[in-house]
Amino acid sequence: MIPRMTMKALLLATAVAMTGLAAQAETLRVAMSSDPLSLDPIATSDNGSIWTQLLIFDTLIRPDRTGEGLEPGLAESWTVSEDGLTLTFKLRDAKFSDGTPVTAEDVQFSIARAASEASGWGRFYRPITGFQIMNDHEIVMTLAEPFTPAFNNLALFAAAILPKAQVEAKGEAFFEAPVGSGPFVLKAWNRGSKIELEKNPHYWQEGKPHVDAAVLEIVTEPSARVIKLEAGEVDIALDPPLNQLEALDAKDGISVGQTIPYRADFVQLNTTKKPFDDERVRQALNLAVDKEALVQGVLYGAGKPAASAMPVMAYADPDLTPYAYDPARAKELLAEAGYAGGFEAQLVVDSGAATSRNAAIALQAMLQQVGVKLKVQMLEGGTQWETTKAGNYEMSVSYTTSDTIDPDQIIGFVGVNPERANAYHTEWRSDRLNELYAAERKALDGPERGEMFQEMVQILHDGAPYIFLYHPASAWAVKDGVKGFEVLPTSNFRLEEVSIEN
Amino acid sequence: MVVLRNLLRSPAGALGLLMLALTASATALTPLLSPYDPFALDFADAMQAPSALHWFGTDNFGRDIFTRVMVGAVYDLRLALICVFGPMAIGVLIGLAAGYFGGRIDAALMRLTDVVWAFPFYVLVLAIVGVLGPSETNLYIAFFIVNWIGYARIVRGETLLIARLEFIEATRVLRYGRLQVMLRHILPNALTPALVYSMSDVVLTVQAVAAMSFFGLGVQPPAPEWGLLIVESIDFMREAPWMTIFPGLAIVWIGIAFSLLGEGLSTALKPKG
Repeated sequence: MIPRMTMKALLLATAVAMTGLAAQAETLRVAMSSDPLSLDPIATSDNGSIWTQLLIFDTLIRPDRTGEGLEPGLAESWTVSEDGLTLTFKLRDAKFSDGTPVTAEDVQFSIARAASEASGWGRFYRPITGFQIMNDHEIVMTLAEPFTPAFNNLALFAAAILPKAQVEAKGEAFFEAPVGSGPFVLKAWNRGSKIELEKNPHYWQEGKPHVDAAVLEIVTEPSARVIKLEAGEVDIALDPPLNQLEALDAKDGISVGQTIPYRADFVQLNTTKKPFDDERVRQALNLAVDKEALVQGVLYGAGKPAASAMPVMAYADPDLTPYAYDPARAKELLAEAGYAGGFEAQLVVDSGAATSRNAAIALQAMLQQVGVKLKVQMLEGGTQWETTKAGNYEMSVSYTTSDTIDPDQIIGFVGVNPERANAYHTEWRSDRLNELYAAERKALDGPERGEMFQEMVQILHDGAPYIFLYHPASAWAVKDGVKGFEVLPTSNFRLEEVSIEN
Repeated sequence: MVVLRNLLRSPAGALGLLMLALTASATALTPLLSPYDPFALDFADAMQAPSALHWFGTDNFGRDIFTRVMVGAVYDLRLALICVFGPMAIGVLIGLAAGYFGGRIDAALMRLTDVVWAFPFYVLVLAIVGVLGPSETNLYIAFFIVNWIGYARIVRGETLLIARLEFIEATRVLRYGRLQVMLRHILPNALTPALVYSMSDVVLTVQAVAAMSFFGLGVQPPAPEWGLLIVESIDFMREAPWMTIFPGLAIVWIGIAFSLLGEGLSTALKPKG
C-alpha cells in the first residue's frame, strides 16, 4: 500500500531532498597512473608518492606555476646571505591539519631528518650543517662551505615539513596516517585502488582548497583512465594516451591540456661494454635516429626532439640543437670505429610504458638502416630498473624528470661519474664535466654558473652516453566545469587550485 | 593412406584440413599477395582502416596488418607444433615404458608425472620462462618440461590395457624382444588417443603461446607473432580496433581448424567393427 501524500508533505520532502543535494560535499575525482609506494618524503622517488605527498605536506618554499622561480610556502619570507652560507626563513602562521602550529622546531627536525643516513635524499641536505632557532617563527640555517643548490633543494618534496612530536612518537606508523600542513588530509588509502583526501580545515591559504574532498583513483591502463572520464566516473584523467588527445578534445564535455614538463627521454648506453665504449659509435647511433619522426609517430606531435639528456630548464642553451638525422654520416662513423658491417645489441624497455615500448620498436627499424640489429627485450619496470642499475644491459629506453627548478639535480644524475647513479648507469665519465659540477655547486647564481651548465650539457651532447630522443608533453583531460587544473613543469599538480562549477 | 582417406570422408576433418591448407598457402604466398614489408615503418600511413590497399588496415607504425598476420602464422604454427609434438614424443615414450614395465619403473615415472601435474600449467610455464628469461628457445624449454605429462598418462593407460590383450600374450610365447613388442605392437595402438588429444592440445598451445607474448615472456618484437600483435594494439583499440580484431580472428581461425581436424582424426582412427 502506498500512503497518500498531501501536497504539503510532498513539498517538504522535495525541500529536504534539495537541501540534501546542496549540502553534499563536493569531491574532485582524479584518475592517476601509479599508486604511491610510501608517504614518507625521505624514502621515495616515484612520481605517485611525490604527487600525493605534495598534496598532504608543505615545504618552506616551492617552485611556482611557471617553473622559473620559487615562491613562498610555509616560509612567508627569507634572506640568503651574500656568500650563500646563511639562509634565514620567517615562517607564516600555519597549522598542521590537527590544529597544532607549525614551528621552527618542526622545520629543524624535518630538514635534519631529510639529511640523515636513513634518507634517500641525504646528499641534498647534508651541506646544511647548522640550525639556529630564533623563535617559533624564525630559523637560520648555515652551511660550512658554499653549496648553491641548498636553497632550491628546500623546495623539494623530500624537505616537507613534518610535525616533530608526532613523527617521534609514532615512528614509521606516522606515514600510514600522516599529518601535514598541506591543503589535504589523508582520510583513507586502499593500496592499489584509491587514496581518499579531505580538505585540511586549517590550511593557511584562505579559501583553498575549493573542493571539500579529493579522491585519487589508481588506474594503470591509460585508455581505462579516459574511459572512466567519459563515463563520468572521474573529473580528471592524468596522462591520457597521446594518440587520443585530439579526439578527446573534440568530444563534448571534455577538454584537454598539455605542457612539456622538465623531462627528457633517451636510451642509456652501457659504455663499459663494446661497442658503446667508442664515442664514434655512440654519436653514430644518435645520427641514425630520426627524432622528428619519433615525435610525430610515437608522441603524435606532443613533444620536441631532444639535444641532450637534460630537460630544457634554467640555464638551457638555446643554441644547442639535436643531432641531425644523417644515416650516411652514421655509417661513416661506424666504419671508422671498425663496425662497417654494423653490430647486434640488446635493448631493454619497460613493458608497461606504452610510449617507450613504441619508441623501442621504431628505434629497432631505424637502426636497422645503418646495420645495427636490436633485440628488444620487454621487462617489467622494476626489473628494468634493477637490470640497468646492476650494469647488466647494453641499451635501455629510459627518462628523467626534474623535481626542482635548478638543473643541479639532473646534471648530477645523468652526467656525473662517480656519483650516486654514475651518469645514470652508463658509467660514462668526463673529468671536465665533473670539475664543472663541483664548481657550479659553489658558484653563485648568475650568468657564470649558467655558462658552466651550458658547457656541461655541451660535453654531454658530444660524449653521447645516451641516444637523445625527445622531451614529451604531459597531458591531462578534464570534464567541463573543472577549473584551474594543470600539470606543473615539475610534473606534479595542485588540487587546491581546482574548483568544480556546474 | 587409409587414415587420410577416412579423414577426408569425415566432414569435420576435411574442413579442418582445408582451413589449414588455406592458411599455409596464404602464408607461403604472402610476398606475392602483399607488396608491403612487414617490418618497415611508414608513419605517414599509420592507423589506416581496412581498405582495398590494406585489407586488414595498418598499425600505429603504418605497417600492413594483413602482411603481419600472415607472416605471424609462421611463428605461431612453428611454436605450437614444436611445443606440442616435441613434448608428445617424450610423453609417449615415458607412458609406454611405465605401462609396459610396470612395478618400480612405473611408480617412479608416475610420481614424476604427479609432481609436474601438481602445478597449474601457466604457473609452471611462467615460472620457468621467468627464470630463464624471455625468448623463443626458453619458451620451448618450458613447454618441453611441462607439456609431456598428458601424453604420458594417456599412453600409460592404453599400454596397460593393450599389454593384457591376447595378441601381446602371443608375442611372449613367440619370444619376441621387448623393444620390438613395445614399439611395433603396442605403440601403434596406444598412439591413437594421444594423437587425437594432440589436436586439441595444439589449439590450447596456440593460445598459450600468444598469451606468453602478451605477458612479454614469449616472442619478442618486431616479430609479428599474434599475441604480440594484440598486446601492441591495446593502446589503439578505440581508434584502430582492426589492429586487435584481425590477429584475434587469426587465433580463432587456427583454433577452429585444429579442433575440426581433431574431430575428424578421432573418427578416422576409430577401429572398425
